[in-house]
Amino acid sequence: MKATIENIKTVIEKADVRGDVTMMRSDVPISEQGVDSLDMANIFLLLEEEFDVKIPDEDLALVQTIDQIVEYINSKS
Amino acid sequence: MLGIQKIAHYLPDTKSWNAEKKECFDIDDDFIENKIGVQCRTVKNEDDNTSDLCVKAYHELLKKIPVAENEIECCVVVTQNPDYNIPHTSAIVHGKIGLSDNCACYDLSLGCSGYVYGLSNIIAFMQMNGMKRGLLFTADPYSKIIDMQDKNTALLFGDGATVTLISDEYEWKPVTFSFGTNGSNYRELICDDTLYMNGRAVFNFTATTVPKHIKEMMEQKHLNDADIDKYILHQGSKYIVDTIRKRLGVDAHKVPFHMFEYGNTVSSSIPMILEEELDKPENSRMVLSGFGVGLSWASAIIEKK
Repeated sequence: MKATIENIKTVIEKADVRGDVTMMRSDVPISEQGVDSLDMANIFLLLEEEFDVKIPDEDLALVQTIDQIVEYINSKS
Repeated sequence: MLGIQKIAHYLPDTKSWNAEKKECFDIDDDFIENKIGVQCRTVKNEDDNTSDLCVKAYHELLKKIPVAENEIECCVVVTQNPDYNIPHTSAIVHGKIGLSDNCACYDLSLGCSGYVYGLSNIIAFMQMNGMKRGLLFTADPYSKIIDMQDKNTALLFGDGATVTLISDEYEWKPVTFSFGTNGSNYRELICDDTLYMNGRAVFNFTATTVPKHIKEMMEQKHLNDADIDKYILHQGSKYIVDTIRKRLGVDAHKVPFHMFEYGNTVSSSIPMILEEELDKPENSRMVLSGFGVGLSWASAIIEKK
């Protein structure tokens, strides 16, 4: 499945994060928009399951914003 | 047939409050209450060793039920933080309690899956050897090994101990056990002088492996959620317990959460909850599931007699 800003936000919502996910900016790190480290771990796991990709620890710096996640996942599939 | 007759626990009076570490670790009240789920951690007295925690749990057991020390035929301690490398802590407990010379003693080196492993192990050992009364201790004081500057572990682990009286006058009996190990990831939760935990790796392991494992065990016994009154999960953190519960698809009231006032007590977390749940009339069948260091996981289904 191709990643888009919308379906990445749908995955983030599944992690039950605080705040309105639809209002999240796609160019700002998710961790700077009220999402803590435990939610981030859950989001990465949900992304791996949803898009059938592996996001190794060494790649985490590449997937901090929604825009970066879209680009990363689409480059892998 | 052998099973669980009674459980007792000991928690130290000294507490370390996570609210005092908010600035140091850049966390807020919501993170403490709803993510970690630990308001304060119990910390053992400096003079107390692992065996002392076991003895204190045993004294709590004596307040609930009379135990004749000369009738105890087996004493097992689940710990990875023993008093010494040599000898085994169960022998020290044996001496401090004053158990008989005919009592078998051994330790089990397991972490958060240790209580379920211990339950299976002591019952099998006792039945094989025709024994009728035994004590299963859990005590893993992580205050010995925590790096207080490490956010991943410094806010989480509490000290405590439990003892389970195993006997032929049991009130609850296990009906099935299931075990698993992923040894290739042993470095994700490891102690080499101080404790190290890769939080993301441990989270991924518990979120993906444990719910699947519990479901498979229930399917093998042809049981579904309606047949289970409670799921007693190892209290890794509130976030872990909530995640497993959601992935199992069960109601929150079936999954007790109890670590808020003492922390993650490793192999003691399941028996501490079980102690209360055993006596509740609404419970007749429960799932137990422990998971963690190893990486290791173990689950059981127990039923009221």
